[in-house]
Amino acid sequence: MTERNLPGISFTEALEQRLDQANWSRREFLARVAAFGAATALSQLLIACGQGGASPTAPPATPAATTTAVATPTAAPTPVPTPEKELFVYNWDGYIGEKTVEQFHDKYGITVKYDLFPDEATQITTLKKDGKGGGYDVSYPASTWMPDFTQNGIVRQLDHSLIPNLKNLSAAWQNPGYDPNNQYSVPNYWWTTGFAWDPRKINKDLTSWDALWDSAYDNHMSMLDDMRECFGAAAFRLHLSPNTKDTGELDQILTMLEQQKPLLRLYTQDDISDLTSGTVWLTHAWSGDWVQMTYDKPKTKYVIPAEGAVKGNDVMVVLSGAPHPIAAHLWIDFNLDADVSAANTNYIGYMGPNDAALPKIEGYIKDDPRLNPPPEVLAELIELEYLPQPDLDQYTNRWTALRA
Amino acid sequence: MTASATPADQPGVSALGNTRGPIADRVAAGIFLLPGVVWLVVLFLLPLGIMAVISLGAVDPGGHVTLTSPSLDNYGQAFRPEYLPAFIRSLYYAGAATVLSLAIGYPVAYWISRHGGRRKILLLILVMLPFWTSWLIRTYAWMIILRDNGIVNSLLVDTGVIDDPIPILNTDFAVILGMTYGFLPYAILPLFVSIDRLDESLVQAGRDLYASGRGAFLHVTLPLTMPGIVAAALLTFIPALGDFVTPDLLGGTDTTTIAKLIQVIFTSGRDWPYGSALGFLLMAVTIAGTLLALRSLRREVIG
Repeated sequence: MTERNLPGISFTEALEQRLDQANWSRREFLARVAAFGAATALSQLLIACGQGGASPTAPPATPAATTTAVATPTAAPTPVPTPEKELFVYNWDGYIGEKTVEQFHDKYGITVKYDLFPDEATQITTLKKDGKGGGYDVSYPASTWMPDFTQNGIVRQLDHSLIPNLKNLSAAWQNPGYDPNNQYSVPNYWWTTGFAWDPRKINKDLTSWDALWDSAYDNHMSMLDDMRECFGAAAFRLHLSPNTKDTGELDQILTMLEQQKPLLRLYTQDDISDLTSGTVWLTHAWSGDWVQMTYDKPKTKYVIPAEGAVKGNDVMVVLSGAPHPIAAHLWIDFNLDADVSAANTNYIGYMGPNDAALPKIEGYIKDDPRLNPPPEVLAELIELEYLPQPDLDQYTNRWTALRA
Repeated sequence: MTASATPADQPGVSALGNTRGPIADRVAAGIFLLPGVVWLVVLFLLPLGIMAVISLGAVDPGGHVTLTSPSLDNYGQAFRPEYLPAFIRSLYYAGAATVLSLAIGYPVAYWISRHGGRRKILLLILVMLPFWTSWLIRTYAWMIILRDNGIVNSLLVDTGVIDDPIPILNTDFAVILGMTYGFLPYAILPLFVSIDRLDESLVQAGRDLYASGRGAFLHVTLPLTMPGIVAAALLTFIPALGDFVTPDLLGGTDTTTIAKLIQVIFTSGRDWPYGSALGFLLMAVTIAGTLLALRSLRREVIG
């Protein structure tokens, strides 16, 4: 972990570092560019209309009969059904261990086509556009989407006999509320949403959401460009639920966010580099992003505010239209392996729900109460719930009014 | 811009057509048109039609688009006073980027055309060179240049011009700069084409009739290159109006454009019908502007 000194280096070096920092391989980079290419208003609409070929990140339609593929001679102890030779994974950038894909290929001979999305909105739009996962096998949605995904048939019920490593899940994650008995999903990482700051600029132990409303840091703060998270932060400050459906409470939250807006530098798309580059001193942040901030600025601090905070987790799912369902199950099982799961966590800094992996997770992650809060803190944190459309509209109307 | 065809062209056209029968001619024309037509229908008209249908629908509590009772409610809801600042801002950014692109692009195009000599092609390739790198990466590069510890601020602080970095990133200035930078090549190319096509002898004739250099430019060159100016303005203004990536990356809290609001409604809001309606209205504004520009151009050319 070397301290990088951006101002002193040449422009191309800086750019390379920026790309490097994001761990973009050329292929990932292309996928990411393609994803952003789609981000013009018109392409958004094309995607929205669900036309074939409209989304550059979608893998090409594949013949369904891939299960007839000849078994690979190198196949490791494989479950009874013959796995397919390819797998289409759709995930965040830099979200698994650096060698996970390679090791999976070595073990099963399955080639992973790994596509990235730049934000959750793009992910959900892509997975929903054809109602069965946009041609992908596996993706990593936030757990809050599970009621919606199961209800709308986006995901496929898991065959637990193909995922023996489910036994590695800790007891607390065997039966989550969003998906009883993990019938459709397997928990992957979990996190908290608090805020991070640069102690060289703010030499204090901040503990309250009040900091993000403190005019002492005027124009040196950012909030996540995420509607639900911003409403959540304001709600905690007001001692309200981040899932409130009460219009009066939502009005109070909006007022609070309106008071905050003039103090902010921006609503950030990239909390990590905004803080590490010095654009802001203090930012609303996800716990795992904070870990990545410390790669550049080791002293960066993070807190789960005392008023409460959002906790979340994401899940691995097999999509209902998955062209390679067996390989998809193998992927999930592989990522539940103690070594693989620990490598994933050690790379990204998000804790997983994997008991078997715990001894192999770096001490600075598992022993840090900010990344691995004790059960009594965890019990106080609240998950963002999936909101029915009329309630969500209440949020969207206020958020667009705030941002306009 | 076909409006500038004069009746004198007509005999030439039919003379060419006479070498084959009219039917064979039509078939050939049809074959040549086919790829373009297919492209337009499949990738433009069809999605547009679907979007039009969706914009009449609603979202049920489960998040599905339903069309059980089609209505224009979404359009009625579109005119919210809260959105006005974002709309005005979009027009302002797009307008500023267009004016700047023309102001910078015209001299560049003029210079390449008149003084480029044998290096004309090379110079044009240089204009297009930025396209070889993704727009997203180039925008990230601007972030590195403009941010508080970026190249510009470091230079200003090191040379003692300022004591503390001034915020350049996350301002209106950064957004307009980013847009102008991004759309400038789209302005230069049509400007170059129209300036390069301009018959130099017409300018000479003007000078022979005692027009000053400035007079000849204002009364000969400028009017005759007006089609290029209008094309350049449209090619800059229209994409700039729909841009939300530049304001997202280079902007701050007060740089939200109407396109960003539409994106939020589509994604965080999960409300495709309402987003489609807003998208259509934005498109209507764009088309109306385009038609106005083309009309004024026709008047300019004919009158």
